[in-house]
Amino acid sequence: MECNRCEEPSVMHAAYSGAHLCEAHFRESVEKRVRRRVRRDDLVPHDATPENPQTWVIGLSGGKDSVVLTQLLYDTFEEDPRIELVGLTIHEGIEGYRDKSVDACIELADDLDIRHEVVSYAEEFGVEMDDVVEDDPENMAACAYCGVFRRDLLEEYAEKLGADLMLTGHNLDDEAQTAMMNFLEGDVAQIAKHFDASLGPISEREDQDAFVPRAKPLRDVPEKEVALYAHLEDLPAHITECPHSSEAYRAEIQQLLYDLEENHPGTRHSILSGYEELAGIVANRYNGDDEEGADLRECVECGSTTTRERCRKCSLLDALV
Amino acid sequence: MRVTVDVKGEETHEFALEDVPTESAETAVEQPTYADLLSKIDLSPHEVSVLVDGRPVPEDQPVESEHVTVLRLIKGG
Repeated sequence: MECNRCEEPSVMHAAYSGAHLCEAHFRESVEKRVRRRVRRDDLVPHDATPENPQTWVIGLSGGKDSVVLTQLLYDTFEEDPRIELVGLTIHEGIEGYRDKSVDACIELADDLDIRHEVVSYAEEFGVEMDDVVEDDPENMAACAYCGVFRRDLLEEYAEKLGADLMLTGHNLDDEAQTAMMNFLEGDVAQIAKHFDASLGPISEREDQDAFVPRAKPLRDVPEKEVALYAHLEDLPAHITECPHSSEAYRAEIQQLLYDLEENHPGTRHSILSGYEELAGIVANRYNGDDEEGADLRECVECGSTTTRERCRKCSLLDALV
Repeated sequence: MRVTVDVKGEETHEFALEDVPTESAETAVEQPTYADLLSKIDLSPHEVSVLVDGRPVPEDQPVESEHVTVLRLIKGG
């Protein structure tokens, strides 16, 4: 089968668009979608100048998504003196898993010659995920602890590194799953927060003074295409699943979306585009009420911004030690 | 034709191409596609990459190789 745009053999078929693309045109199509997303989300502010460059911190785990994101942002902004990229890697303390992916991050950052920081749960919190899973004082899935710790460190270090923006490699499948989960859980407040935290165009978000704004420029690209891009570009992505991975509900939604996508190609795209429109509307509505967001305060233990007296991370650490 | 489907890190499957149902095929020819092969082993084309001789192939194409490698996508970015 030939590529739709030239005579080279196609390497992929996108059922949602009907396209068959060769290696070169597939890469071009991924790059185009990411650049369009950077523009539509207003990620480069108008007042960014070479004298006043923006610092973009990328959450770099070493998996395919963050590695592809880093490479694409590098290719896009390599010659642009207004944007400085920094890779931020979190070591959770997972034997036989994270060490190798940290190596992948170091290799990529070296190749691209970008600044790279590694921080660990062990050094920051005095815990490692392998032990947390053993203790499990709150009787929760591993990802529930790990997510709280990871967000805390990404936020803290993004701030320390002077980040104007924090970017993560969430792809279309990730975001369509999250959208479905929020919707099925009836969590409209969460949908509004999702818009202000990471989905909305920067210029349309409610000011989040306490937090570094986040962005997900890969969210128009299906997971399969992110993996294919990493494969074709021969990027140093780490390819082992986390041994503690246990998000049962997400896995159920993922399977549901695979089945829907099979019979109705384009379902993930339409879920996310409808969800984003809806999220913008409910964010506006919720921002009218002063109840939300007004009760942010500093955690009594670590000083980070929280809605509680003691933040979730500190409560979990207390339970663990 | 007999086809070997090697799911990396998991099982290797072998079956006769004639035994592969062609339900998901939208091609004009009544020949099983790579998507049909995946369906037979309960995998979605959205969770794997299919390689023939180390090259990715579009899943809607008719199977033309006796040996197919399947790479599962790894969660986590």
